[in-house]
Amino acid sequence: MAHDHAHNAPPSDTAMRVKALETLLTEKGLLDPAAIDALVDTYENRIGPRNGAKVVARAWTDPEYKKRLLENGTDAIAEFGFSGVQGEDMVVVENTEDVHNIVVCTLCSCYPWPTLGLPPIWFKSAPYRARTVIDPRGVLEEFGVELSEDIEVRVWDSNAELRYLVLPQRPAGTEGMSEDELAGLVSRDSMIGTALADAPAG
Amino acid sequence: MPALTPDIVPGLVAGGASCRMDADVAPRFKVGDRVTARNVNPLSHTRLPRYIRGKTGIVARDHGVFAFPDTSVCGVHSDPQHVYSVRFEADHLWGEHANANSSLYIDLFDDYLDLA
Repeated sequence: MAHDHAHNAPPSDTAMRVKALETLLTEKGLLDPAAIDALVDTYENRIGPRNGAKVVARAWTDPEYKKRLLENGTDAIAEFGFSGVQGEDMVVVENTEDVHNIVVCTLCSCYPWPTLGLPPIWFKSAPYRARTVIDPRGVLEEFGVELSEDIEVRVWDSNAELRYLVLPQRPAGTEGMSEDELAGLVSRDSMIGTALADAPAG
Repeated sequence: MPALTPDIVPGLVAGGASCRMDADVAPRFKVGDRVTARNVNPLSHTRLPRYIRGKTGIVARDHGVFAFPDTSVCGVHSDPQHVYSVRFEADHLWGEHANANSSLYIDLFDDYLDLA
């Protein structure tokens, strides 16, 4: 049987550092370790990009909702009960035939947690953060998105207190689909702006 | 009793901690104003990145009043002021290396800006 991991390798530096911090906080009486389990469960199983997909699908099917969403993203998203840490103040930017939006944080990794969950590793990486501001079209091509120069690319550097969600364009051929079905076409990356919404199957 | 226990996690996650402040502070700029970011180079925390310093853009949106992170880093919300979404043209930021037909929006605090 294949067995390709080393039993005797020491844990990674990051794992060691996390364990040391958790142990110190616990021993000083600041932290109940069960709270860490609750936080991990929250962001592994309950809060993630399916939340954002519901918001997008609603905006695609309900023009009044879309209007509220673009005017006051925080309140419109809170209609679903999505609010809180790293989503306290939200702005939603709309992709159209003329404009494509892409979000980056050059400061660190600011990201709308209530609608998208925790950021992917690449969103936090120095190359994504450095290159997206200066060469968004090049970054988009590496994600497989080639845009005509007729389409304006807008980069949103979310390095202050606002958090951004991209409202992707509704794909063609989805006229008869329900809100739930539409939500299935909305990937995490399409709400960061590094992808388009998926085309319907078949 | 530890400061962080499982029972308070849901409330912490759902509530968050907005840096928006309910303070009566007048905006120094309005939508449509041409503004130039100050060329300041503090050694301490700032949300004004180097690539924006000295550049001129247009105020696209006034987000309202927020605590100023440059002086709030010690844990107390302070210096409430307006934050604006400011639009910069890519060719102004990046010169001949700019992408065609591209722009950049960034949220900037009142203290970072002067009328152009």
